[in-house]
Amino acid sequence: MSTTYVRMEIFRTFRNTRFVFFAIAFPVLLFLLQATVFVNADAPDHAKVAAVLMVNMMAFGTISGAMSVGAKLAFERAAGWQRQLRLTPLSGPGYLTGKAISGMLVTLPPLLLVPLVAVVFQGVRIDAGGWLHIVLGIWLGAIPFVLLGLLLGQFGTADSMQPVNMVVTMGMGFLGGLWIPIESMPGWLHTVSQVMPSYWLIQIARPVVTSDLTTGFGTAAGVLAIFGLVFGAAMIRRYRKDSARV
Amino acid sequence: MEKTQSRAEVAAGAAVHLTGLRKQYGDVHAVDGVDLTIAPGEIVALLGPNGAGKSTTVDMILGLTTPDQGDVTVFGSSPAKAVAHGAIGAMLQGGSLLDDATVGEMVTMVASLHRKPTPVADALRRAGIEDFADRRPNKLSGGQKQRVRFAVALVSDPDLLVLDEPTAAMDVGTRREFWKSMYQYTASGRTVLFATHYLEEAEEFADRVILMRAGKIVADGSVAEVRALAGGRTIRAVVPGATEPVIAGLPAVTGHEFRDGRVVVSSSDSDVTLRALLTRCPDAHDIEITSIGLEGAFLTLTAEESETVR
Repeated sequence: MSTTYVRMEIFRTFRNTRFVFFAIAFPVLLFLLQATVFVNADAPDHAKVAAVLMVNMMAFGTISGAMSVGAKLAFERAAGWQRQLRLTPLSGPGYLTGKAISGMLVTLPPLLLVPLVAVVFQGVRIDAGGWLHIVLGIWLGAIPFVLLGLLLGQFGTADSMQPVNMVVTMGMGFLGGLWIPIESMPGWLHTVSQVMPSYWLIQIARPVVTSDLTTGFGTAAGVLAIFGLVFGAAMIRRYRKDSARV
Repeated sequence: MEKTQSRAEVAAGAAVHLTGLRKQYGDVHAVDGVDLTIAPGEIVALLGPNGAGKSTTVDMILGLTTPDQGDVTVFGSSPAKAVAHGAIGAMLQGGSLLDDATVGEMVTMVASLHRKPTPVADALRRAGIEDFADRRPNKLSGGQKQRVRFAVALVSDPDLLVLDEPTAAMDVGTRREFWKSMYQYTASGRTVLFATHYLEEAEEFADRVILMRAGKIVADGSVAEVRALAGGRTIRAVVPGATEPVIAGLPAVTGHEFRDGRVVVSSSDSDVTLRALLTRCPDAHDIEITSIGLEGAFLTLTAEESETVR
């Protein structure tokens, strides 16, 4: 694996207008919309509610960014680029690691932009330790989503990946408490939402911004670790099968 | 013992050495016992109809497919090792470029994966694409794309180039250009194995021609040798009412085909075949007799029983 490889992956991602819209612009705009429409600007707890919405949108942007690696993988598999790379010293694990690293790095813009907007326009104030917890926590929590993207990318074709990614991301968004805050969910939906890994991603950061409906950092980290192990194992298994067949 | 050693020496000295290679997909014997030695510096054309096993053979040489039986060595080591050392460069079939990266970025990236790559500018110049290094593949013609893939194949500075139908998307002029740059590249003693369906390319550019049919090598030699092996001449004629058994039943026929309303017959003795044809089908007209080209040899050797030829 080379840094040139990872760098090219990142350039390619940012050239994709779909990515720039869904993973960067969309979470920022949706945050501003929710924070202005749902919460009265003069309400005393405005900043606190905005902080909760901020965490949701950070998580959403991060998930969109992390899962974008899947579409690339599917395309490269279909186009024969993977086969071409197998004729270089780059190993299969090296190929996937490069994709995973680039997937982690392209999540940084939404992860940093949403809080910036929250601080500048919505008066969100959190201490340095809190910021570190939120940003680093959500960033590391993106690992299972990168692995899920790499897993789905090995099943999908270049054409089917867009709708598949869309459905999965929207499912996570609606059901997992990102687009509909869990505070506003009816009881049954709150129960359902706990099946989604995205629910646990926001629970990583939630204790910093609220004490309502939190599961605790340890539980959330543990659940995400299990998701990560399952997605990772399935992804490696699938890759081995796939490259033996080609 | 001595024999084994000399065999090992052959394998070590050869660019490509295949012994008893077999690969089966379900009931289909894609490659059915191929033995082949390619010496360093040889330019070898691999010909055969679709399904002859060319691509499977190529994939096993590249290490993309594992043989069921038999051995592959490339410069004395396994394909995987040869690939890791950057000894193999290949243009694979099908589109394998990224539309969201520029030509320069792609070649640079592949170069960065190799240990001792050619300078990227050199690779681009050799492939004749230095002018569109900043462009993306979706803005290029089919022939230009092929040349980008050529640059990707040669940027590792390989000793063996494997090209699977390299000129498939090119017009005649571009094909000439492509082979010209290939020739310059191979003047320095590199080994080239290319699969093609343009017989004239094999005739013009290869030192050696290998014909495959049904997973086996049916002919192997210089262009002149392969042509001689098939022998004879080709008769083309419009034959109203010609049927398969009538044509196949003519004396001295080594192969036949119905093409565009005409009958194309390869014959080891065209005088005898023609006399019989005119007796049995007096309406035959527009008769042409040509000395067999590689195309005729190809037709003869791949259409008929392979055992006699081997």
